[in-house]
Amino acid sequence: MGIADSLSRLINVALFASSLRMTTPVLYATLGGIFSAEAGVLNVGLEGLMIVGAFFAIVGSVTFGSAWAGLLVAVLACVILSFLFAAVHLEWGADEMIVGLALNVLGYGLTTYLLLVMFNVAGYYSSDTIVGFELIRIPLVHDLPLVGEILSGQFALVYLAFLSVAVTYFFLYRTPWGFWLRSVGESPEAAEAVGINLRLMKYTGVLVGGAFCGAGGAFLSLAHLNLFSEGMTAGRGFLALAAVNFGERKPLKCMVAALIFGFTDALAIRLQRFGLPSQVVLMLPYIATVVILTLSAIQGIAAQRARLAAKG
Amino acid sequence: MNRHTDTEVGTETTQVQRMLPAIVLQLMNYVLILLLALAIGALIIASSGKDPLTAYAALFHGAFGSRMAVANTLDRSTVMILAGLAAVFAFSTSVRNLGIEGQLYAGAFVAAWVGFGIQALPAPLHIALAFVLSAVAGAAWSLVPILLRTRWGVDEIVPSLMFNYIAIHFTAYLVAFPFKSDTTILPGTDPINATAKLPRLMRGSPLNVGFALALVLVFVVYWFLFRTKQGYELRMVGMNPRFAAYAGLPVKRSALMGMLLSGAMAGIGGASLILGFFGRFITQFSQGYGWDGIVISLLAKNNPIAVIPAALFYAGLANGSLEMQSATQVPITLVSTIKGVIMFLVTAQFFLRYLSKRYPQWA
Amino acid sequence: MLGITKQFPGVLANDDVDLIVQKGEIRAIVGENGAGKTTLMRILYGLEMADQGAIRVKGHTVTIPSARAAIALGIGMVHQHFRLVPSFTVAENVVLGMEPRQGMVYDEDKAKEEVQELSEQYGLTVDPDVRVMDVSVGEQQRVEILRALFRKADILILDEPTAVLTDSETHELFAILRRLAQKGLTILFISHKLREVLAISDNTTVMRDGRVVGTVKTSETTARELSEMIIGRETLESAQRDRSAIEPGEPVLELQDVSVYDVRGLLAVKSVSLEVHGGEILGVAGVEGNGQLELAEAITGLRPCVQGRIVLLGKDIQNLPVRQIREAGVAHIPADRHAMGMAVDALVWENLCATRYHEPGFSGRMALAMDRILSESDSLIEEFDVRTPTLQCPARNLSGGNMQKLVVARELGPGQARLVVAAQPTRGIDIAGTEAIRNMLMDYASRGAGVLLLSADLDEILAISDRVVVMYGGRVADIGRVDASTRDKIGRAMTGAEV
Repeated sequence: MGIADSLSRLINVALFASSLRMTTPVLYATLGGIFSAEAGVLNVGLEGLMIVGAFFAIVGSVTFGSAWAGLLVAVLACVILSFLFAAVHLEWGADEMIVGLALNVLGYGLTTYLLLVMFNVAGYYSSDTIVGFELIRIPLVHDLPLVGEILSGQFALVYLAFLSVAVTYFFLYRTPWGFWLRSVGESPEAAEAVGINLRLMKYTGVLVGGAFCGAGGAFLSLAHLNLFSEGMTAGRGFLALAAVNFGERKPLKCMVAALIFGFTDALAIRLQRFGLPSQVVLMLPYIATVVILTLSAIQGIAAQRARLAAKG
Repeated sequence: MNRHTDTEVGTETTQVQRMLPAIVLQLMNYVLILLLALAIGALIIASSGKDPLTAYAALFHGAFGSRMAVANTLDRSTVMILAGLAAVFAFSTSVRNLGIEGQLYAGAFVAAWVGFGIQALPAPLHIALAFVLSAVAGAAWSLVPILLRTRWGVDEIVPSLMFNYIAIHFTAYLVAFPFKSDTTILPGTDPINATAKLPRLMRGSPLNVGFALALVLVFVVYWFLFRTKQGYELRMVGMNPRFAAYAGLPVKRSALMGMLLSGAMAGIGGASLILGFFGRFITQFSQGYGWDGIVISLLAKNNPIAVIPAALFYAGLANGSLEMQSATQVPITLVSTIKGVIMFLVTAQFFLRYLSKRYPQWA
Repeated sequence: MLGITKQFPGVLANDDVDLIVQKGEIRAIVGENGAGKTTLMRILYGLEMADQGAIRVKGHTVTIPSARAAIALGIGMVHQHFRLVPSFTVAENVVLGMEPRQGMVYDEDKAKEEVQELSEQYGLTVDPDVRVMDVSVGEQQRVEILRALFRKADILILDEPTAVLTDSETHELFAILRRLAQKGLTILFISHKLREVLAISDNTTVMRDGRVVGTVKTSETTARELSEMIIGRETLESAQRDRSAIEPGEPVLELQDVSVYDVRGLLAVKSVSLEVHGGEILGVAGVEGNGQLELAEAITGLRPCVQGRIVLLGKDIQNLPVRQIREAGVAHIPADRHAMGMAVDALVWENLCATRYHEPGFSGRMALAMDRILSESDSLIEEFDVRTPTLQCPARNLSGGNMQKLVVARELGPGQARLVVAAQPTRGIDIAGTEAIRNMLMDYASRGAGVLLLSADLDEILAISDRVVVMYGGRVADIGRVDASTRDKIGRAMTGAEV
């Protein structure tokens, strides 16, 4: 098999289509991270929130017989957990990083425990009673050459994710509440001086963040796969942190980072089919993250140096 | 306004005497938190139809209830003490090393490799070599995240986190291909040679020399951090890097050193598990000990000596949960939930505020 | 405000304070640091709640539990350290919290329009579109004022507004304040700069130790009378330099065409040359923000010097590592003692030995010689009168004045420095502490060291310096030896005019 042949089997339209799919959970968590960070709260517990979301999505789906119900339950569960996180940090002054870590520990532990207690299985839960999301076929778009396959035939949550990027931008930069949220994070003393309720804004940021993580988790267990398995988030919550960092909390830039991760993820799966050992391939997204963060930092320093040089 | 004119030099005894009330307050805080966490756990147990009291009795019995139990708990605490020390090194110098778990893996693998790969070396030397190289491996695994920070200002949180996953997958790869062992069905390496095994301290229990080593290291680390100039530098940089730079302290070197020592300690922790318990490297050898270490250092407030009781507590929980599960079918994951609750409460200083108000003369 | 009492842990900040101000009046509130003026104003603006007492605004008795409530009552505050959002534009900052909108969307055009209108109405020039981080200090202050006016404030509180302004900017501000008062606004003005207070206010209230000492009509009082009220006794002759005995020695420090960038990448020090001789105190006068910080940091090794030479006793020290510079004989009392001069969580002895712990007597290859370190620390706190219960307590337990004395003890204690760089050494320190520190500096100089004193406090400069230079806009103007004409020369130089 020639190189060109292999490449074309590797890099084709389906790759980009699946990239969008793989980006979605990270993107949701990233948006969640953005809201929290803009309110001035660094939330490293996105991972724990996502796994809780993934679990409760299944619970909701099984209980109410619908995927959207599952999404709702997931979001609700994550909002409640985020509320705990926010309360411990804001009311009792706990260090946000440590509480975030606690969130991760609690999330993992709780979902594993509940898996046993509620479904009587260990490791993973899969069943016909789980109602997952369906792919959506957009009539005209689907027939477009090349892009048709990428843009149509995705889950509803995928479209919603990218739509949310626009909504997030709009909210943060074009509405008064967005200004309030950002001022609380960037300059709390200014916000305080004009009478903005810091506590309220921070809670809002964290809770909205949690809601997004819930959606991300729900996507994993109800769309991407139709099951829940322990640790299925596989560090995506941390990748989201990297994306928020890389994009400096700006929705568009962060989306780019999330897309890169999604692409690497999708690529990794394909490489597996090429005979590369799964373990090697699984490392790729994490290595990619480190590389991206490094390059971004180097580029930032170079840009600053250029600015200084220009000033003479 | 501070009107004290008492300038007596604080000798060791009077310093401790002065600090005692605050320590007592903190202990009371921890006890109350524990009780609250156990109460929440009891609720969870009860809600699944089991009896909390028998469950907890089993938990305690499994942790400390018999000579064998105590020995097992001490053994399990070994890796937790070492992981706790690893976290103490990093957090004392304000390096947020969230990659301790991965560094544990690195050290563990190298220890196994030295264990089975080297023949004809007398036991003490073989063990020493394994530990030294696993320390180097752990340090090496922590190198990239800290270099990213000192060289390019990249926050070490995410890179160190990423390296956890890289370590787990990379060692899994090694064990599945180049180091694949014919001697076992489980994914693991060849067993280590007898000369690399850590001698047992008590017949019938896995308690081994590793525990003694961990204790010794606790005091070494304490001496290093509080009685040497390098430790002083590390801690000052952690407390206020601007001040440290202004006074001429080597800031970047201290951050680097703190991280590398942290990685090294984690590597030793991983090695202790392989050489003392498993006898080979297997892929799922760590139950999140790295993360336990971080919480332990938090509970110990970065004091190496306080790491011991915190680690014993966690080890007791882990051991006890096994007995609890076998005796009452309450799953061991309940304990992770309790750990999570404890973490939440501890970081919230949950009872401390109330206690300080109630006993202000002790605060 | 009647009978206002406020207790903080350990200190009675306000003790039965009465303050009655008329509409359209400019009232100055003066006093030393810790007199209670800021606390009183914070209570008025809702950032604190009084323990006892009543507040009446425009005839009605009110409670002010929050800034929001204060704003609703028409009270606005301009803070000493500006409270603006750096990445937002001027317009966005002014309307923050009360943004005009079209439905859910922020109405940017309307905001700019309203800001423009307001700015013209009161004569406060600003550019609505620029981001606040890119704007001058004077303009930032105008933005804060506009923000209060946007909320229909008719009572305006200004906390030390001239602390960061040049003389000309101060004149502009006063013109604005007079205009506002004419339009019926009531202005409350906290300051400890008596000269300015006399220039602008109608009446002056003096506070000391949490109480009101008295209120006088400004036109009927003098600076001396006010000082006496503030201090509570005849103004003592404060530490004055005995200049007759000075015989400056060899240059200890020479700067030749030194240039330094600030954190934003702008040139903060522009080709500066100066000399400090042994045994002399060179005062660098000027309002903060003109490059003093960067200059001090370049000399002490905390900031790169991109051009020129810094020579200490004949040896080039520019861009050397901090430790080498210190070992060459430089001591540094930093402007920000909290953030830079100490580690508040570290113990007292740990703070004291930070510059010498590595020396042979204090540590070996690894081990610290604790006995030696502790005994040395003991003698330092003895000598410099640092009040602390024990060497083993965290530095944060010390009072502000004692913290500064700790820093001075560490820097001056060993006695081996040939050059002392003292940046704002008595800022925020009470009178007794200030005396002590100034005496220590003069003492040091008389032993042959050179002292580079950077201070925004003109009185301080004039009191203890031998020679003066003025730093303005990154450049230095040499004023020469201190005499009666120095004050005027400094004033002119600070506006950028030729001396």
